[in-house]
Amino acid sequence: MANTIVKIDGLVKRYKNLIALDHLSLEIKEGEVFGLLGPNGSGKTTTINCLLSLLAFDKGTIEIFGKPMTPTSYDIKREIGIIMQNVAVFNELTVYDNIDYFCGLYITDKDKRKQCVEEAIKFVGLEDFTKFYPQKLSGGLLRRLNIACGIAHKPKLIILDEPTVAVDPQSRNKILEGIEQLNREGATVIYTSHYMEEVEQICTRIAIMDKGHKVAEGTKEELKKMIKNTETIWIEIPEPGEQLKAEIAALPHIYSTDYKDGRLQACCSGGKHNLIRVLEVLQKHDMHIGRVYTELPTLNDVFLEITGKALRDKEE
Amino acid sequence: MFLHNLKYELLAQLRVKMFIVWLLVFPIALGFFFKMAFSGIYEKQDKFSSVPAAVVLTEEDPQFRAVLDEMERSDKPVLKAAYLTAEEAEKQLKDEKIEGIIRSEKGVLKLTVAGEGMNETILKSFCDIYNSNSEIIRSADPSKLPAVTGILMQDISPVEDIKLSGGNTDYYTEYFYNLIAMVGLFGSLIGLTITIEHQANLSALGARKNCSPTPKSLSLAASLVSRFIMQTACMIVCVSFQYFVLGIDYGRNLPLVYLGAVFAGIMGVSLGFMVGSIGKGTKDLKTSLTTAVVMFSCFLSGLMVGNMKSIIGRYAPIVNEINPASVISDCFHCLNIYDNYDRFISKLIVMAVMTFIFSFIGFILTRRRKYASL
Repeated sequence: MANTIVKIDGLVKRYKNLIALDHLSLEIKEGEVFGLLGPNGSGKTTTINCLLSLLAFDKGTIEIFGKPMTPTSYDIKREIGIIMQNVAVFNELTVYDNIDYFCGLYITDKDKRKQCVEEAIKFVGLEDFTKFYPQKLSGGLLRRLNIACGIAHKPKLIILDEPTVAVDPQSRNKILEGIEQLNREGATVIYTSHYMEEVEQICTRIAIMDKGHKVAEGTKEELKKMIKNTETIWIEIPEPGEQLKAEIAALPHIYSTDYKDGRLQACCSGGKHNLIRVLEVLQKHDMHIGRVYTELPTLNDVFLEITGKALRDKEE
Repeated sequence: MFLHNLKYELLAQLRVKMFIVWLLVFPIALGFFFKMAFSGIYEKQDKFSSVPAAVVLTEEDPQFRAVLDEMERSDKPVLKAAYLTAEEAEKQLKDEKIEGIIRSEKGVLKLTVAGEGMNETILKSFCDIYNSNSEIIRSADPSKLPAVTGILMQDISPVEDIKLSGGNTDYYTEYFYNLIAMVGLFGSLIGLTITIEHQANLSALGARKNCSPTPKSLSLAASLVSRFIMQTACMIVCVSFQYFVLGIDYGRNLPLVYLGAVFAGIMGVSLGFMVGSIGKGTKDLKTSLTTAVVMFSCFLSGLMVGNMKSIIGRYAPIVNEINPASVISDCFHCLNIYDNYDRFISKLIVMAVMTFIFSFIGFILTRRRKYASL
């Protein structure tokens, strides 16, 4: 069984009357890519800040590598790489100097550091920009520099706090591939995001947060099993009559139907051959059928069902 | 680790444009404008120093002529003498072309003036000094007459103040001292950045540094030393520019002006470090607070309103003793006023102590480990 790398137990953080974290408990195992998913203001960044001992919290305990995490836990900090939500580099230093500076805070041996810096530059694909100053880099390249500064010292635990915010798709893919590669090389990763697609793509286990609570936790499959919806059927048809709608709604395993923008939506909960049964009803009513497709539930559906709201419906 | 931090802190500082502007371009430009503005006043002073006067000799007086000739050859003659007849002299005095008429009668100078003022006082002083020392002049070896004349006349020069310490007490040079003081206090802005770059609640950079295994005190020390070095360099450039390019005369105290400027700059940095570390405000609020503290300090020290320092000295003298701007300006002031360096050294010690206190408070407040909010 894999070792526990991070253990958060009953964490409570209050900002005056607002409870930012409400008895949050998490356990992250070695080799995981652990996703913290939730809308803005759900407590993801607060969790990370408490984890890093930047924020004082009211209650609870935090252990990393089996030891309590404190601001002076330098031996623990040495093994952690942090990639902040905001780019944290010196604008006055070149790409190379920035990475070397931050790497130097962890590694004192010059030769080892030089090797680490060069590998980090190669890893994020900034070989052609080593002498550039951050202001001259595009948003995506800047994010890559931010990542290189955080991982150059080859940490065992990497914490990425929304690293792809305001990044173009190409750079985003590069970043996500990089995270997967770091994980393959042995790093345990904690990844926070409000982009469910990213979390779904790279995370092996996910905790969904809302208003400081952990509302669900598990693998993607486990999370999806928690909800009623197993499949959503979409069929392009002309406006159906009430009788037709009622017949479809009465089919087994169909728990909700709707018609919007020329498409019939039928949400299914378990069962087999749901699509065939729906098509048979439509055929019986001699409906002209356009495109037909089905969707498996997403983490957004999971979030919607658990919290009653969409993952990105409110920017708090 | 310390040297690694110091190296990159210095590299980064060298490229911060705001500091280059405030610590180098601004004082150089302002110094240049001061020089341009005051050069007209200096010229007026030079003209003013030679008081036009008519000399009427009722009989030949070779000693008096010799003294006048010597004086004309000097750099800053007190008189601009014209030998005239009594009638011509009266007419020119009436026409205000001259300030007075000096008559030599039996080796005694007699003065006629048309009014009262500094020029008339200078002429009277000249005559009085000449008359009271006429015996010395008459008995002097002709080869030593220039020296004797110089000694006799030095007390009535309207241009040069009395120097006790070998410095330059010229009123306008005070502006350049004040400029140095101001640049020193501008150092507080770069001192402030130490706090900003080390507080997780003020910058992402601060958060990242807080997450690293480098002890914060070590990182703070490297940042502080880098700012001290940077500010010292700026102070040296500022004084050098004033001395070598603008030609500001600091008398024989130039090395001590450098020393005072360096102390002032370092104290300015530590002041900003301390002010920035107080309270929970945002980066902008802290910048505003630091600027306000510096401005208020300058105001109390009289760098903005001329007599403020003496008012404070009358009602709350302790304020002048602990106000950074007052301490800096006093430091330069006493360098030029007093003929020994005791007070100058005491001001340097005060600055050093204040630097230590400011830095210590800054360290204690910035080393705060956890934040209530980020």
